[in-house]
Amino acid sequence: MGTPTLIATLDKVSYMYPRSPEPVLKDISLEIYKGEFLGVIGPTGAGKTTLCLTLNGIVPQFFGGRFFGHATVVGLDTLDHPISTLARHVGTVFEDPETQITATSVENEIAFALENLKVPREEIRARIPRVLEAVRLEGTEKKHPHELSGGQKQRLAIAAALALQPELLVLDEPTSQLDPVGAQEVFATVRELNRELGVTIVMASHAAEEMAEYADRLILLAHGALVKTGTPDELYNAVAYLEANDLRPPQVASTFSLINKAGRAVPKIPVRLEEGLQTLAAWRQKAQLHVQPPTAFPRPRIPSGEPLLSVKDLHHIYSNGTHALAGVSLDIHKGEYVLIIGQNGAGKSTLVKHFLRLLEPTQGRVLVGGVDTRTLTVGELAQRIGYVTQNPDNQIFNATVWDEVTFALKNLKYPREEVVARATESLEAMGLLAERDQHPLALPKGDRARVVIAAILAMRPEIIIFDEPTTGQDYRGAKYILEISRKLHASGKTVIVITHHLYLMPEYAERVIVMGKGTILLDAPIRQAYHEIELLNSTYLTPPQAVFLARALGDRHTYPLLTPREVAACVAGQPIEGEI
Amino acid sequence: MSTLTLQTVERDSFFTHLDFRPKLFMMATITIVAFVWENPVMECLLTLAVMLACLAVGVKFSYIRKLVVIMLPFDILLIVTQGFFAEALIRSRTGQTALTPLFTFPAHWFWVGGASMSVEGVAYAMNVVFKTLTMTLVIPLGIFTTDVNTMIVGMVQARIPYKLAFIFSSTLRFFPLLFEEIQSIIEAQRLRGLAFETMGPVKRVRVYAKVAVPLILGAMVKSQMLEVVLQSKAFSGSPDRTYLHESRLGVGDYILFAFFALFFVAAIVAYFGWGIGRFGKPVFINWF
Amino acid sequence: MTIPSGEERKVKFLGGAAIDGAPVAYIVVLAAVVAALCFIPFSVILALGGSFPIAQGIFPLVGWILGPIAGAIASGVGRLIGVFVAPHTAAVPAVSVWSAMVGSFSAGVMKSEGKRKSWWLPLTIFFILEFLLFVGRAIVQNGVSPRAAFAGSFLDWSGILLFALPTRTLAARWLRHKNIGVVAAGLFLGTWMIAGVTHLTAAMITYFMSNWPEDVWVMLIPIIPVENLFRCLVGTVIGSGVIAGLRAIGIVKPTEATY
Repeated sequence: MGTPTLIATLDKVSYMYPRSPEPVLKDISLEIYKGEFLGVIGPTGAGKTTLCLTLNGIVPQFFGGRFFGHATVVGLDTLDHPISTLARHVGTVFEDPETQITATSVENEIAFALENLKVPREEIRARIPRVLEAVRLEGTEKKHPHELSGGQKQRLAIAAALALQPELLVLDEPTSQLDPVGAQEVFATVRELNRELGVTIVMASHAAEEMAEYADRLILLAHGALVKTGTPDELYNAVAYLEANDLRPPQVASTFSLINKAGRAVPKIPVRLEEGLQTLAAWRQKAQLHVQPPTAFPRPRIPSGEPLLSVKDLHHIYSNGTHALAGVSLDIHKGEYVLIIGQNGAGKSTLVKHFLRLLEPTQGRVLVGGVDTRTLTVGELAQRIGYVTQNPDNQIFNATVWDEVTFALKNLKYPREEVVARATESLEAMGLLAERDQHPLALPKGDRARVVIAAILAMRPEIIIFDEPTTGQDYRGAKYILEISRKLHASGKTVIVITHHLYLMPEYAERVIVMGKGTILLDAPIRQAYHEIELLNSTYLTPPQAVFLARALGDRHTYPLLTPREVAACVAGQPIEGEI
Repeated sequence: MSTLTLQTVERDSFFTHLDFRPKLFMMATITIVAFVWENPVMECLLTLAVMLACLAVGVKFSYIRKLVVIMLPFDILLIVTQGFFAEALIRSRTGQTALTPLFTFPAHWFWVGGASMSVEGVAYAMNVVFKTLTMTLVIPLGIFTTDVNTMIVGMVQARIPYKLAFIFSSTLRFFPLLFEEIQSIIEAQRLRGLAFETMGPVKRVRVYAKVAVPLILGAMVKSQMLEVVLQSKAFSGSPDRTYLHESRLGVGDYILFAFFALFFVAAIVAYFGWGIGRFGKPVFINWF
Repeated sequence: MTIPSGEERKVKFLGGAAIDGAPVAYIVVLAAVVAALCFIPFSVILALGGSFPIAQGIFPLVGWILGPIAGAIASGVGRLIGVFVAPHTAAVPAVSVWSAMVGSFSAGVMKSEGKRKSWWLPLTIFFILEFLLFVGRAIVQNGVSPRAAFAGSFLDWSGILLFALPTRTLAARWLRHKNIGVVAAGLFLGTWMIAGVTHLTAAMITYFMSNWPEDVWVMLIPIIPVENLFRCLVGTVIGSGVIAGLRAIGIVKPTEATY
């Protein structure tokens, strides 16, 4: 093997956006080699996107600002060559599948950059089927982007980038807005491009398990600085270090690191599931695996009495003919914490929208507190059921945080003292009282989400629904919102969460409803539901790695374990204290 | 959200294969002629011609009926007002001092007693009805039969600056997304307990209009992302680029051009030369 | 601030593609906003005798955000797409598109600064010509009494007057005021004058087509101003929300923006 070929270099690169007082990138030196898969990890705000945009010259040529050091791609200095020249060598894929597709058909999307670069028509015609094949979208040339799923849109964006025949493909969180199927599609495509076609990949992502699986090398950014470089094994090994940087290691790494901490020496912490399973198998073979069965978990409470929310044989057919719900029946009792999972299109949001009468049943009934929702208005239901949807910015109408939180109360004609009392209480609970006079949009995204939650809590609903609160959030952001849900639950509220991030939920949810094709596939306590691996797989859901590790612990027993801590305690034979 | 793209006819006709440029020319010509004419019979013939053409190229009859139904209240208002009050207008057009009554309300009727609806007034109103219908119908005729790509290439070749053609096509791409966003914003408003039924009109407008605020702000934030995307695709707005699709004028296109050029010249010459197309000229009016 | 160790480089700031100082991407998204809002009728005021798509309330705002040329393009393309996708949303398609463009253009011209200090003048002359054609045709050709014609075109001539007088630049200055209450006043005044000249532009053409009789002129005397009050209310509510929001987000202002 010869010396690896350099594709791109950063030499002491620092960068400040025009109005930012501090550098967003600080003294970054980095070499990227031909054919490698380089993963970029770091919490939100660490500078991952800026680093990606440095590689194609958009930083600083498009944004302006101050730039220090040197960046080159295939030998071209990114400041001395126009962005259009660099675009021939660096293909870029962004986070949002919607915004990055600008054309009205698949073939036009692929052609767009080529047309801009004056590639002859015949050449464009020849490249389109080639790149569509590479991302497995053959035959979709004439389709409108609207007809594609999220995963297909991202693959189209990859195809469009590939059409430039770039030496380097940069992907900035390409899966964070996708459902699990879409994310799998994108990861599989990128891996194939890298392994089969030798495309050099730079990819920023929060998906730790996948990064450990696919990346050759990782760099960790924190506050704009490159703080660590190494193989996934080297980086994800350092569990405590990652956590100090608000990052989540793969669960298999957390598990073995905890086992190690509990006194059982693990010479090499595995970071990929396969290796973890092999380690356990090897221990067992050598009769070194002495599993301490967990003390019985408290039995899930069987709720009794009148359900708070009741759905009876619910069907919903959209005006375009989609049968979104096909005979759903369900009871939710006061004080439950329910998790609803399933792919996009499984009917999750359609179901919860019926609770609020945002959709009317085509057939069947929905009862809230024993009352048929058809006799209640959306406004009345909204006072009992708070619904926090994914994009906080679609839910902000007012020019100050205070107006936002009092907006509903004033509309509901509460007396002034009541409005003030409730809004103050709600803002205090969200830690936003000091921001009451600010414009909500001047706050960071996580705070904006809390403004919306505060506004909904001010109505004092009994039930609170969080619809994909963790999508597009980093680990810290996601945990923050889930902690709010925990507090609400502890105070007696009924909580319903819809999310694709199964690994986040064991500490919170009690009951899981798995949906697929408009029906309920499973309704069970979380310890049972997460272990129904075949059923979950049948709808393309994958339980967290800890579940697979738990199942590898015993031949005859299935331990209903859900988290790295539980698995580690079982293996180490003792409860494990402290941070993880 | 199925209808929020440009509609296209299912029928593959001679017309769907034409270039966009002669169609643009056709739309402009028909619109101008319909605007200039005031003669109800000629306007009616023009409307019928356009309507038949629409049906021939595959625009659904149900769609045309929908257009007519939507315009009906406006049309009725027009017929009533012109029917009863067109005296001064008709005098200025034909010099008539007495109008031909169609019917007269009995004199003892409250308020409307003695009022008379005139043939000429109704005829004038029909001219306006057909005029607006023609102007609306040329759009499905020209647009529903044209593929978006052909439209954009046609625009570029018709010397419309590339930046404009690009704005047109990207707007087509993005507005359905924003339309969906409007739905979710309206939902979010309703979830804040808004009950429009119980609000006064001013308050209702104030609250309802707020739908646009997050929509516009969200769009502006997205636009920054969009700019970065465009940059990474080497977009400069310069027309100096290649095009995947091409569009050449064929025989059919030239025939269409020639036909509408002739039609336009003939209509204008006849109108200004002999007054053909003016109200009451030729005297088709007596046919009513 | 930490001192970067790399050598500071000279940054050639290129920016993106723009039309008249407004980034193409801004124009695209605002055109898409206009197109989407063409489908939202203002049903709440239907009872008052007229309904208009909410898009009408933002044509001036688009001009104030993007400047006259880019604003006219955004509104024009947006309305054009509205018309193409759903021809039934406009009584006379060409007029809807044209008046949308005139609305945003005139709004963008209001601030009257720099090289464009005198753009308002030819525009005012154009509006006066339109007015003469409109009301002149009514009085001279169609025998409408001058009284009814002037009362029925109150919105139109008040729009021209407010646009021709220093109220034009006053409203523009208010739009830039720190206090959002003053901005709202500017929005109300600005929307009234722009809606006035926009209405004139549309009415002049539709009147050529339909020549409505005097009785309709009389009937319109109270309706048009009331309807326009609501349009101004819409413009003010949306405008103040959007301008406050744009200031909070700190989005780069197009060079010809008024707000």
